[in-house]
Amino acid sequence: MRAILNELRASLTRNTSMTISLIVTMSVSLLLASLGLLIQAQAERTEQYFGDRLQLQVNLCTKNSPAATCVGGAATDEQKQAVQTALQDNPEVKDFAVRSPKENYAQARELLGQTDTGRKQLETLGVDSFPESYFVTLKDPQQFDGVVSEVSGMDGVGNVNSLRDLLGPLFEMLDKMQWAALATAGLLIIAAILQVSNTIRMTAFARRREIGIMRLVGASSWHIQAPFVLESLVAAFISAALAAGGLAAFMHFVVYGYLRDTLGRITTWVRWEDAFLVMGMTTVLALLLALVPTFVMTRKYLDV
Amino acid sequence: MIRFDKVTKTYPGQKRAALDRVDLEINKGEFVFLVGSSGSGKSTFLRLILREARPTSGHVYVAGKEINKLSSWKVPKLRRQLGTVFQDFRLLPNKTVFENVAYALEVIGKPRDEIKRLVPETLDLVGLDGKGHRRPDELSGGEQQRVAIARAYVNRPMILIADEPTGNLDPTTSVGIMKLLDRINREDTTVLMATHDSSIVDQMRKRVIELDEGRVIRDEARGIYGYEN
Repeated sequence: MRAILNELRASLTRNTSMTISLIVTMSVSLLLASLGLLIQAQAERTEQYFGDRLQLQVNLCTKNSPAATCVGGAATDEQKQAVQTALQDNPEVKDFAVRSPKENYAQARELLGQTDTGRKQLETLGVDSFPESYFVTLKDPQQFDGVVSEVSGMDGVGNVNSLRDLLGPLFEMLDKMQWAALATAGLLIIAAILQVSNTIRMTAFARRREIGIMRLVGASSWHIQAPFVLESLVAAFISAALAAGGLAAFMHFVVYGYLRDTLGRITTWVRWEDAFLVMGMTTVLALLLALVPTFVMTRKYLDV
Repeated sequence: MIRFDKVTKTYPGQKRAALDRVDLEINKGEFVFLVGSSGSGKSTFLRLILREARPTSGHVYVAGKEINKLSSWKVPKLRRQLGTVFQDFRLLPNKTVFENVAYALEVIGKPRDEIKRLVPETLDLVGLDGKGHRRPDELSGGEQQRVAIARAYVNRPMILIADEPTGNLDPTTSVGIMKLLDRINREDTTVLMATHDSSIVDQMRKRVIELDEGRVIRDEARGIYGYEN
C-alpha cells in the first residue's frame, strides 16, 4: 500500500496541471448536471403542488367564495357528491383525485411560509379558508371544454382551472432550463472523459519505465492500475466536493436568498434536502465518470 | 525448467516465422547461452518465456507451467519466478540503488522488514555494498548493470534471463558481470543469456543454443560462439 501511495503522490506531483484541468472540467460538468437535477426536482415539486400539468383543478366553494355558484357558502355534502358523480359519469374524464381543505391548507402553509408577507397572511387564514379540490385527469388532455362547461356551472363549484394553461409556461421554462443544463453537462462530461483518458495516456507514457519494470518483476494488474485509479478517485472526489460547494452556494444565494423571498408565491421551491440528494447523485456520477474510463484506458495503455 | 515443444511463432503480417518448430529443454541449474545473428529469433524466444508473446503453435513450459494456457491474472505469479536483465539496464534514474532494488519487492507487496533484509544482502552479493545511497548516474556502466542484476535476483527467481547484459560494457567490466552471473548460477538459478559477445561465450564454455532464421541450428553442451574447427 505504501508503494502505491508513493506512486500516487509522484503521479499527482508530475501531472499537477493536467489534474487541475481535469478537476476544473469535471467540477463544472458536475455542477451543471447538479443544476439540471435540481431543476428536475423543482419541476416535480411544482407538479406535486399544483397537480399534474395536464390536469383540471376543480375547486369547490369555501364560505368566502365570491362566485355566483357559491351563494350558499361552503359546498355542502350533497353538492360535493353531485360534482363527484358528474366527474365520474363524464366520458372525457379518466379519473380524479380529491384534495381536502386540510391538505390545501398544509400546501398553502408551505408556500406562504417561504416569505415574510406570506407568513403574516397565514395568520388570518384557517383550514376553512381553503376549498376541497378535485384534480381531474382527462382521457385526452386537449379535450377539456366539456368537463369545464359541465362542472363550472354546478352549485358548490368555486372555480375550474386548467393547469395546462396556468402552468404551461412555467413547466416549459423549467423543461428548457433542465435540458440546457443537462445538455451542456453532457458535452462537458464527454470532455472530462476524454481528459481522463488523455491524462492516463500521458501518465502511462511518463511512467513507462516504472510500468515496464513492474510488469517484468510480476506486479499484479491491480498494483499497476492502482495509482491511476487512485489519482482518478482523488480528482473525482475533489470535483464532486467543488460541484457540491457550487450547488450549496446556488441554494444559499439564489434559492434561499432570492427565489423563496421574491418568487415565493409562484410555487414551493427546492429545499436543502433536495440539494443534498442531488449532491449524492453527482458524487456517484463523478466516481463513475472517473473510474469507468480509468479502468478501460489503463487496460488499453498499460497492457495489464 | 524451460521446455519448448515444437514451438512456432509468426507475428501478424509476417510471412516468415520468428521461431520455427523449436524443440528444446533447459534443465534446472543450467547456464545457457542463446546466440545467433540479429533477427534469428533470440528476442522472440525470451519473450515467449516471459509470456510477453504467445506461440502460434506448439507449447512452452516454464517452471512446470504451460504458459500459453496460463490465464492473464496468473502471469504476474509466473514472472515472480523469473528475473530479467537488459542491455540498457532500465534503472529508475530518480531512485537510489537501494530504492531501485527495493522497488522490485515493493511492487509485489513484500513486507518492509523482508525488503530491509533482502536488499542489502543482494547488494552485497553483486558487489555494491556501501553504494546503496547512490543514484544510477553516479555509477559506472558495470555498476549500473550490477544494480539491474540485483533487482532481477533480489526475489531469488528460479530463472534469470539476461538479454545482452554485456552489450554496453567494455571487455574487462563484462568479465566481472559474467563472474557475477556465474555465481548466481552456482546458487542453483538457471541462467539463460542471449548474447553477441563471442569472447565471453568462448571463455565460459557453457551450453550454447544457436538460432538462425527461427530454427535451432546448434545445441552444444560446452560450446563456443562459432563452430570449432
